[in-house]
Amino acid sequence: MSLEHFILLSLVLFSLGLYAVMARRNLIAILIGIELMLNAASLNFMAFNRFLPVEDPTVGQLFVLFIIGLAAAEVAIALSIILIVYRERKRIDVDDINELRG
Amino acid sequence: MSHANIAVATLLAPLIAFAIALIGFRRKHDIAAGIAILGGLVSLVGSIWLLLDPAPQPELITAPWFEVGGFKLAFGALLDGRTLLMAAVVGVITFCVMVYSLGYMKDDPGKGRFFAFLALFEWSMLSFSYAPNLLQGFIFWELVGLASFLLIGFWYHKPSAVAAAKKAFIMTRIGDVGMFVGLILLFGDVGTLDILQIGGIFGAEGLPEGLSAGRVELIAGLLFLGVMGKSAQFPLHTWLPDAMEGPTPVSALLHSATMVAAGVFLFARFHELFMDAHGLMTIVLAIAVFTAILSSTMAMAANDMKKILAFSSISQLGFMVMALAAGSLFAGLFHLMTHALFKALLFLTAGAYIHHYGTNDIVSIGRAGGRKMRVTTLGLFAGGFALAGVPIFAGFWSKEAILGALHHDGYMVFLVGAYLAAFMTAYYTFRMIFLIVLPNADSDAVVEEPAGAQHGDHGHEHHGPDKAPLPMRLPIIVLSIGAVIAGLPFFGDAVGGLLGRADEVHHAGISEMILPVAIVLVGIALAWLDFGARKAPQRGIVAWFPPLEKALKNRWYIDAFYRKTVIRLTNAFARLMYGAETRGFDGAGDLIADGTLRAGRGTARSHTGRLPIFVGTAVAILAIVSLSVALG
Amino acid sequence: MGGITGLMMALAVAGALLAVSLKNVLHAIFGLALTLLAVAGLFAVLGSPFVATMQVLIYVGGITVAMVFAVMLSTVVQQHAAESPWRRAGAAVVAVGFAVGVGLVVIGAGLPDGPPPPMIADAWSVKQVGHSLLADYNVVFEALSVILLLAIIGAIVISRRDPEETPS
Repeated sequence: MSLEHFILLSLVLFSLGLYAVMARRNLIAILIGIELMLNAASLNFMAFNRFLPVEDPTVGQLFVLFIIGLAAAEVAIALSIILIVYRERKRIDVDDINELRG
Repeated sequence: MSHANIAVATLLAPLIAFAIALIGFRRKHDIAAGIAILGGLVSLVGSIWLLLDPAPQPELITAPWFEVGGFKLAFGALLDGRTLLMAAVVGVITFCVMVYSLGYMKDDPGKGRFFAFLALFEWSMLSFSYAPNLLQGFIFWELVGLASFLLIGFWYHKPSAVAAAKKAFIMTRIGDVGMFVGLILLFGDVGTLDILQIGGIFGAEGLPEGLSAGRVELIAGLLFLGVMGKSAQFPLHTWLPDAMEGPTPVSALLHSATMVAAGVFLFARFHELFMDAHGLMTIVLAIAVFTAILSSTMAMAANDMKKILAFSSISQLGFMVMALAAGSLFAGLFHLMTHALFKALLFLTAGAYIHHYGTNDIVSIGRAGGRKMRVTTLGLFAGGFALAGVPIFAGFWSKEAILGALHHDGYMVFLVGAYLAAFMTAYYTFRMIFLIVLPNADSDAVVEEPAGAQHGDHGHEHHGPDKAPLPMRLPIIVLSIGAVIAGLPFFGDAVGGLLGRADEVHHAGISEMILPVAIVLVGIALAWLDFGARKAPQRGIVAWFPPLEKALKNRWYIDAFYRKTVIRLTNAFARLMYGAETRGFDGAGDLIADGTLRAGRGTARSHTGRLPIFVGTAVAILAIVSLSVALG
Repeated sequence: MGGITGLMMALAVAGALLAVSLKNVLHAIFGLALTLLAVAGLFAVLGSPFVATMQVLIYVGGITVAMVFAVMLSTVVQQHAAESPWRRAGAAVVAVGFAVGVGLVVIGAGLPDGPPPPMIADAWSVKQVGHSLLADYNVVFEALSVILLLAIIGAIVISRRDPEETPS
């Protein structure tokens, strides 16, 4: 399993997450896509951390830990927003929330 | 006391008086008046002192002002014959008028403002007279115009006064533009703004180097436009009769003695330059003679005392210009001096009559008992005799000098014109005197404005004793003395010597005096027949030709002509510009603004607010960019 | 080792496919969970069991559960209307294009082939990670704590009901 395989895998995961963000209407489904993309990035970091000669291998791991932590924070906020949208509109459809329209 | 100190005091006293009076004491009228009079007194003493103690060479008392590229400019005072004489005239007349105003403007609600403006005027006029260089001269020339505007329109709730002030300002402005161009050309050609230097350059034999005759004529002609505007020569003369809307002290000070004399003074200041422009001088002579005759005719038909005196001033200014154009600096300035004395005197007497009888109409004044005001009537006689040119009185000598200057080959037609104007001067002056002093209730004289017609502070008939208040009588007495003696040969010689033109002072022999005296006497006799004699019809020879009389009363329809042509053109042009601005520039601006707004709104529609689209677009662009980077 | 790794890669892709295509959001979340677990395994293979554990604990145990809660609270399990084919096609085009494009870049970049370098035990130990976290990268650690605090507070504030809305 070479580095290239891992990178391509993360690319596939990222693209799938991208597809979810663009194609899905349900806000939670979009959130799933975002999480996929984040994980793809984490995978990238870990792969490079392992395969490239680094003098401090903890850095890559720490980075991933931070990504995970941030993802947690982000999900908390996102879910509260989704709840509010649900309260207002009785449904969580991304096409409803277009108030930032020009 | 050094001349420098005196000059500084003379120049600054009115300025300080103006500032203090305007800022501090506009409401406290009497204090403002006192401050102004104090300033006027300092200037009077200063200017007389400097006049009586001239240095053998012209003195320059200046302080550096600014320096541009090696070119140094100063401000201050130039003390030579011409400036000393002019400044002394300004100082004396201004002080007399200030004292007079204590009586005339006693009950006016704007009294404080009036005295402040008088002080402003005095500062401007003195700074103009003493100006050592063209820039200071021009600045104060304009300030004098401003002071005139403020004073003519002093009673600003009177629309006629405001209109007259605007007319005066705009008309003199036309002349000023020409003058400004002339000054710029002059500066460009001679490279200096210093008046003494310019006088030296042009005073030398022949034309200055590098300047063609045509160039000199052009510059002189442009400068003469300024003279025409300020000194009310045809065709820029119509503002002066309207300027009589201002209070009579203003008419006495500005529009007879000093401000209008500024144009003549400008002519005198650059006399050397003008004398190099021979062709132009002939034209100038023609204009001056024509103006003198034209306005004398208008004076013969006017009933309003101030208008008569205004027309008379225009005519007399024509005489001064005549003298200067004919080459006699002495005659021109000597007449300026005597005219200042007797014309201011006449205006002061007019003010006294107006103040007491509430009308400007000489017929009404006469019938209401004008001659009972003794001091005033004595002043009327003194000034009138001087104006008409009765021997011994001041005007006789100065007019003599002018006529003498015209005794040249080729000037015969101008001389005849001058005699004609002199004849008419005597006629209208004594018409005025007889109508006031020898009234006849049964004559055919037409009353245009009955006594008491003017209400307000300066219109009610006084039912007190028939005399003018003391502050008004004193200056009349002082100026009357001047009107009597100021022309005598002693003074003539002194002025000639001061100006360095003793050669121009020509003591006329008795034989030479016969013709002028005769003309004056004929004029007086005709006036007597028309107005003075017991059963005189008091209508005047002009009444024999009703169309002529109508033309004279309408000032030869010149004003109407200007209204129909120049003013209409200007208004049309102004409307055109206004349309161009509101529809053109504003429209273009609005169009741009509108277009921008619409473009903005259009592009804003691309913000759909839909998240997926947003993400998709961002990623797509990212992909494109990275691809292009990767593939080189 | 190679086979397990390959299996986990396949599971990750399969889970992702499920997550993005299933109409029932709850099922989609399960697909996501599968992917997350597979990625955790890959983390372990890549030399950091610690991070793998964290991934399972936080992501699968926390985030996924929170999302399930949200789904339950919003009682929208079934989509009202399917996404239009146009939308899906457009998204697919962009995603595929992106993948292809970047993929070409990756392949053309010439990443080093061959086995990974040997792991020095001490450098890769959990102890070292902890040391690094609290010593060299202390500030980031503290910042992350602040961010989490803000997120908690923010979530509470955002989702608070106005006082007059609650009956008692």
